[in-house]
Amino acid sequence: MSRLGAGFAALLLTLAPAQAGPAREAIVTVQLANAVEVVDLASNTVLRRIAVDGAPAGIALAPDRKRAYVTRPEGHGLAVLDLDAGTVLTEIPLPGGPLGVAADPRGGHVYVADWYGSRIFVLTEKDGVLAPDGEITVGQSPSGIAVAPDGGRLYVANREADTVSVVDAAARREIAVIPVGHHPFGITLDAQSGRAYTANVTGDDVSVIDIAAAKEIGRVPTGRRPYVVALLNGRGFVTNQYADSVTAFDLATLKPLAEIDVGDHPEGIAADPATGRLYVADWGDNRLSVIDAASLKAVAQIATGNGPRAFGDFLR
Amino acid sequence: MKTITLATAALATLVAFTAQAHGPTRRKVSESIEINAPADKVWAVVGNWKDADWLENVTKTETQGDDPAKSKRTLTLKNGNTINETGGKYKPDDKLFMFYIDKVDVKDLPANDYSGTITVEPEGDAKSKVEWKSAFYRGYMNNDPPADLNDEASEKGVSAWVKASLQNLKNKVEKGS
Repeated sequence: MSRLGAGFAALLLTLAPAQAGPAREAIVTVQLANAVEVVDLASNTVLRRIAVDGAPAGIALAPDRKRAYVTRPEGHGLAVLDLDAGTVLTEIPLPGGPLGVAADPRGGHVYVADWYGSRIFVLTEKDGVLAPDGEITVGQSPSGIAVAPDGGRLYVANREADTVSVVDAAARREIAVIPVGHHPFGITLDAQSGRAYTANVTGDDVSVIDIAAAKEIGRVPTGRRPYVVALLNGRGFVTNQYADSVTAFDLATLKPLAEIDVGDHPEGIAADPATGRLYVADWGDNRLSVIDAASLKAVAQIATGNGPRAFGDFLR
Repeated sequence: MKTITLATAALATLVAFTAQAHGPTRRKVSESIEINAPADKVWAVVGNWKDADWLENVTKTETQGDDPAKSKRTLTLKNGNTINETGGKYKPDDKLFMFYIDKVDVKDLPANDYSGTITVEPEGDAKSKVEWKSAFYRGYMNNDPPADLNDEASEKGVSAWVKASLQNLKNKVEKGS
């Protein structure tokens, strides 16, 4: 029992770093509006809008959840936002097509994937200033990035290569390549269980990866064009862009449990373990759908700006 | 001559290589039209997915299978090119048809990964409104798109095709018996 309790506590830490109590805000990239919106989850309204040009898409949050790192694929760079002040602190130019982004949970590093290339940009913080600090070669069209809790390994979904790269972050090199399904886009790490999940966009399924064995151990069928997986209470939730739905599946049996109707072209999804809710960016309908994980139903909608994507870690 | 052939081959390879990952920003275009006919009559045309002759530039419709929610359809265009589609949703009760374009030459329609949703809504007994929502990536897949395949030009191209098709639909339904 105490072992179970300890495991549960560790799981919570893994899933929600520096997070006590329910998530207060969703930080949503509204790509077609060239902005990032801060959504208050108590009142379900947009608190403020921060202008970020360059078609903002990917998002990651600093370990203290006070800063957001937002990719600007059409502006070619990364914007660093002060979420409490509602301001852009700095914009860091990057070449190629910066899209996926992840922050080291221990702080100090931010990783950005080049959608048009085969590389991850490393950005390192020195004296409070984040700056480009080299590249790591991975597979073609890297999109989603997940970082291990200790910062030692990166897991990168390579969309055009149909693989996941395992990267030694300190050595800055790819140490394993794991074949997965067709066109993996989002990647989600469950460090406690030693697994990762990719949403395979053109395969209409999710690949389940055993991290220690560095191989795929299962597939879960989804709706059309899955985008990214969120994890909550022993279940996976994957957005299906073309089916306007979220497929819920059991992480133990890897069997689908339900298909939950949400809005048009759902993309980013994030879970709040404290409330048992999931938030989905409905790109086509300009809103967030709120899913209750217990009833497996959408229970609320929150209006946003045009084209919400929120690809990444967006609750705080 | 040989040099030119090699250069062409190299270019073709380059195009084939870069034409995989689409652009980073999906675009959306929504068009609608009011038709002086009851919704059932309009849906009789829109829902007849085996005949897409009201779509602008389409001369022939060929279908495989009988489930418009997932069957494939090939549209032949005036210039002989084709558009290959797959059905996504087909809900007669909601008068909704959703489809995806699997393959199209960007010269015919400047879009990638296109999905379209057409709905017919009654406006009283004698009128209806048809809405056609499009979601797609621009015609050029990579960074620094040429002017004719950038986001704006792609939106314009899709919008023009949808508008013309909706006008054809209106003409067909209103003039039809």
